[in-house]
Amino acid sequence: MAAGLKTIISLSFVLAIGFLLVILSCALFKQYLPLLVVATYVLAPLPNWICGRCSNPDDFGDSGSGNAIVDFGKFLTGFLVVMGIALPAVLAHSEIIRVPAMLMSIIGGVLIYGTIISFGMFFQEEQEF
Amino acid sequence: MSEERLWKFRKPEWMNSSMARSAGVYAAGALFSLSFFTLLDAAVFSHSALNGSDVHITFIDWLPLIFSSLGMLIINSIEKTRLSADSFSYSGSGVAWKARVVLFLGFASLAGGMAGGVTVLVLKYVVTETVWPTLYMGVANVLANGLVMLSSVVLWISQNMEDEYAYNLAL
Repeated sequence: MAAGLKTIISLSFVLAIGFLLVILSCALFKQYLPLLVVATYVLAPLPNWICGRCSNPDDFGDSGSGNAIVDFGKFLTGFLVVMGIALPAVLAHSEIIRVPAMLMSIIGGVLIYGTIISFGMFFQEEQEF
Repeated sequence: MSEERLWKFRKPEWMNSSMARSAGVYAAGALFSLSFFTLLDAAVFSHSALNGSDVHITFIDWLPLIFSSLGMLIINSIEKTRLSADSFSYSGSGVAWKARVVLFLGFASLAGGMAGGVTVLVLKYVVTETVWPTLYMGVANVLANGLVMLSSVVLWISQNMEDEYAYNLAL
């Protein structure tokens, strides 16, 4: 289990760096709107998860009526992931936040989302056994 | 199956995998998000201090995007297999006819949104001869509607991909 422990420690390290970057991008310029990026990326895997639970895997012969809700969840997840990048860009374009704050919050958001996704992949691997 | 092929080039193998299908759905969501935030960017820009002109984004500018999104919702909510339902004997009562009418309404709404975007660009920004930073708001409108169109095309293709996949599995 040493490898698993190492993965967990490094993932939490990356998560902490991501949060540090996002909070820094807010606190350095006294403008706390980039914190929304964290909320977006925490919400992003949720539609996939909820719609995956709602779908009925036995419906496969019915040509996709059970898969439609899974597709809707994937659509929402794609929407939210791009929202995390687009939100700081919109704020920076209107000079509500500075460009360095935009860069820091985007990089931090990507790190946070990457951590969440890798955690999900590890858990899925455990379920297969 | 292979005798019914119309085109010389065959579809690549990876197009039918379920991974390509879900990637297409994710891409459709991403494109729709991009289009929404393009118009939101124009709206935020128009009410910020950077906008030196008197022209602002109002409800009129949002209307084409609302129509485009409505069209996209209608098009992709239809069960694709019902479009050819009349060719089977057991499902009469004009299901395919109804599906085609609703689909036509969806496409009309999508095209109407695109046309509305161009109309707003021409009537509100080009005719009044605005210069670039203000003109961007009109260009963003057309861009947003085009991206909704692209998104619904990607979603349509990936949903049809899924039908092929299910069919192959059933055989």
